[in-house]
Amino acid sequence: MREAASDAKSGGLTLSGLTKHFGSFTAVDNVDLDIQRGEFLTLLGPSGSGKTTLLMMIAGFLDITAGDILLDGRSIRDVPAERRNFGMVFQGYALFPHMTVRDNIGYALDVRKRPRAEIAARVDEMLDLVQLTEFGHRKPGQLSGGQQQRVALARALAFAPPVLLLDEPLGALDKKLRIEVQDQLKDIHQRVGTTFVYVTHDQEEALSMSDRIVIMQQGRIEQLGTPNELYEHPRTRFAAGFLGKSNFLTMPDGTYALRPEKIDIAPGGQMNGTARLTGTIRGITYFGAVQKLMVAVEGRDDIEVDVDSWRNPHALREGQPVDLGWSDTAAVRLEDT
Amino acid sequence: MRVLGRHISPGWLLVAPLLLVVLAFYAGPLANILWLSVTDPEPGIGNYQKLYQTDALGRILWTTFRICLITTFFSVALGYSVAYAMVHAHARNQHVMLTFLLVSFWISVLVRTFAWLMLLGRNGLVNESMEAIGLISEPVRFMRNELGVLIGMVHYMVPYAVLPLLANMQTLDTRVMAASRNLGATGTQTFWRIYLPLTAPGLIAASLLVFILSLGFYVTPAILGGGKVLMVAEYISVQLLVTLNWGTAAMLGTLMLFSVLALLWLMSRFMQLSAAFGGGATR
Amino acid sequence: MQDKQFMKETLIESAHAYKAGRMDRRSFLALCGMAGVATASVIAGDAKAAADHVVMWNWGGQSVECHGSAIGDAFTKATGLGVKYDTSGPLEGKLREMVDSGNVTADVADGDLFNAVSLGPTGHLEPIDYSIVSKEKTLPNYALEYGVSIILYGYAFVYDTEVYGDNPPKDWKDFFDTAGFPGTRALYKWANGSLEAALMADGVPGDALYPLDMERALNKVKSIKDDSIYWGSGSEVHSMCVNGEASMAIIWQNRGRNIETDTEGRYKLVNNQAMAMPGAYIVPKGNPAGRDAVMKFIATAQEVPAQLALLDCLGMTPSNPAAFGEIPEDQQPYAITSAMNIDKIVYNDPVWWGENGSEAVNAFLDAIS
Repeated sequence: MREAASDAKSGGLTLSGLTKHFGSFTAVDNVDLDIQRGEFLTLLGPSGSGKTTLLMMIAGFLDITAGDILLDGRSIRDVPAERRNFGMVFQGYALFPHMTVRDNIGYALDVRKRPRAEIAARVDEMLDLVQLTEFGHRKPGQLSGGQQQRVALARALAFAPPVLLLDEPLGALDKKLRIEVQDQLKDIHQRVGTTFVYVTHDQEEALSMSDRIVIMQQGRIEQLGTPNELYEHPRTRFAAGFLGKSNFLTMPDGTYALRPEKIDIAPGGQMNGTARLTGTIRGITYFGAVQKLMVAVEGRDDIEVDVDSWRNPHALREGQPVDLGWSDTAAVRLEDT
Repeated sequence: MRVLGRHISPGWLLVAPLLLVVLAFYAGPLANILWLSVTDPEPGIGNYQKLYQTDALGRILWTTFRICLITTFFSVALGYSVAYAMVHAHARNQHVMLTFLLVSFWISVLVRTFAWLMLLGRNGLVNESMEAIGLISEPVRFMRNELGVLIGMVHYMVPYAVLPLLANMQTLDTRVMAASRNLGATGTQTFWRIYLPLTAPGLIAASLLVFILSLGFYVTPAILGGGKVLMVAEYISVQLLVTLNWGTAAMLGTLMLFSVLALLWLMSRFMQLSAAFGGGATR
Repeated sequence: MQDKQFMKETLIESAHAYKAGRMDRRSFLALCGMAGVATASVIAGDAKAAADHVVMWNWGGQSVECHGSAIGDAFTKATGLGVKYDTSGPLEGKLREMVDSGNVTADVADGDLFNAVSLGPTGHLEPIDYSIVSKEKTLPNYALEYGVSIILYGYAFVYDTEVYGDNPPKDWKDFFDTAGFPGTRALYKWANGSLEAALMADGVPGDALYPLDMERALNKVKSIKDDSIYWGSGSEVHSMCVNGEASMAIIWQNRGRNIETDTEGRYKLVNNQAMAMPGAYIVPKGNPAGRDAVMKFIATAQEVPAQLALLDCLGMTPSNPAAFGEIPEDQQPYAITSAMNIDKIVYNDPVWWGENGSEAVNAFLDAIS
């Protein structure tokens, strides 16, 4: 279902050797990246990792120090922002406060001097897409945060851009609302088929929405892959630690990342020799569905173990000696050690 | 006391002495002016009737209004450019520019007025230079006329226009302008459709400030106008100190006061004044 | 009245204009001040009058020193009373305000004789006691009920010799003849002197000026309006001449002298048909030192030594005829009642100005603006 579809033949982006210096500081360092037409790609990283700088270069708001950006094979390096035809949802939405919702959404078509009727029809369509039909004549200030976010999305999609850039669009929303909007966003992405390039520092957001995730650190791509690949097979300590939680185990042949939920735990001596480590429960934190157990192991850092609350058969207590075990595939050897 | 306390916040008690001082030394004299305007030289509205009975007053008020309006237009237009340049300048240059702006506040109006005479007077730098290179054969009359008054007043008022505009522009979310560009609007379109409307509160505040301050201008018109441009402030002063027509002076003072109040009221119908002067935020 | 400006300017020269400037900008405040809160004490400064001295209200600057040496010393010697000064300038409006507020802090004001006509009948001035002050020690028409002329100043004009070197203007007729003498004229903005000059230019004899034919005078003034600029202070007309803006300018004699000096003779003073203006001492009603003391002070100022000292120190011409003959040679061209000038001059009528000055000023302002 692609009723609001963009020109589906367009929207493939190639970044090659993309670099940005601010004085002596390198914000983006020689990034090569192919973004597939119609995919939902997330740039994930902590603040200062260069993800927003990268997005701003794609949008055309920042000059490129070195490298190139290609849209469907053609360089857009020298195309100014207003002629790139990329939609963008800004952090804080950047709606036009003096215009109605309708005028906000119709703006891109209006500045392109499209006929009034066409604009009105398209605005109706977009309002429908983001389920704000009732709110067309309000000003942005009269809307809730979630509604504003949807207006920003509709505004950016109204001119059917081949690429939509989203800069932490959910950052201002509370957690519950954020999850709701994530679903809507994903749904809209599927309906319009536009290439989404999404910047966030929220790993859960990245995992739940993206086709592929780029983990960035210090201006470089740390790892690129589907959510599942990244979660199951982190290549670096940073990737393993940033996307989900990991215990790091130093073994004779290197460092392994081990997700807390993949560890079996039993009272000391009950694992019948399959125990890989033994230790003592130092603390238990209850989260409802899961409990986090911190296990002190002699000669190592504390190991975190997640246990489904309903499955905690042993009624483990603080101070209790425990055995820890895991399957061979659970621990992933990291390449950067 | 306790009953009273329930209705009056204790905060009022703290500011009460100050309020009394304000009432006594501000509202009191003001009321006295109103009183004078209907009692001097004799009780009645004779002073106000002069407004339409004599051409002179009408002409003075019209001159004042016209000059203030033109001054406001050019001051705010120039101030807008200056503020825009300042907001978009590098932080270090911004400091330098702000310093120059503030320094200009400390230069007395008289010094500036005479500086203009030296620069644009009959034998001023500009006329002499233009004559020397053969551009003109007769000195251009920049000064001692209405043009001179406008030049002097606009020059004085530009910094006053800059400050509210600067305050307004600094609060703008630059992402909004970026959004406009991103949506395909050119720089010009972005300016007219987004930037200008968003700086409307600053424009209104600056215009009000400049217009109201211009109403009280005295020295500049008196000197640069060569005596031919008589504005209401100078006229009030003359009636007050020279011809002793205190009733006329009070009437004109009252008129100016209520004109300014009416202006503010009118503006408040369209927007929150506190927003215009950088108080509360409005959407 | 407005010609206080003359003394003010004479005494303090250009720096003074700053003060005027600041005052002017706050005309709205002045309006509030008019409402009568505490202004009297502000105006009076700290020279509070009491029985052991008189307070002289003058225009500051050199006048404190000159009034002290010319009048104060002799007065103290004769009466044992001291003299203090309030230098805030006794504008007519301020004097009225002082008396109305009931807080009279000055004994004698260095004013104009027409102030005596306008403020006397309204009860703002003490009458002059002519048993102490002498009517003979001033010009015949200048000893009025509420004020007596102590000095004279006058309106003459200067012209630019570079413009009119071959055919210099010699009277007001030439001054108003912009066809025969092309060039910019500078007139006094507050009507005084400008009106009389216009009438003389239009053919009215100098001894038949009053009552002024306002319509005729204003028509004459308007006839050269396009070629006129108007000045409100001595420093202003001074700069108009020094900068070459005005080819001819109505001017006070002593200011004319300064301009001659500053332009190294390029501008020249013409005293023909110059108008003598009586500067006068007036006494605010209910003055703190009492009538007797202040009348003695005024009488002291009438004496020939005081008169000559004022001329020497301030450039103010004696009004006591006994002093006319004793004006030194080098002061003669700039003293309006000197032997050199006295036959060419006309006399201002303070009574007409006191009674009609307000209307005249407003009509003049209306005509030129």
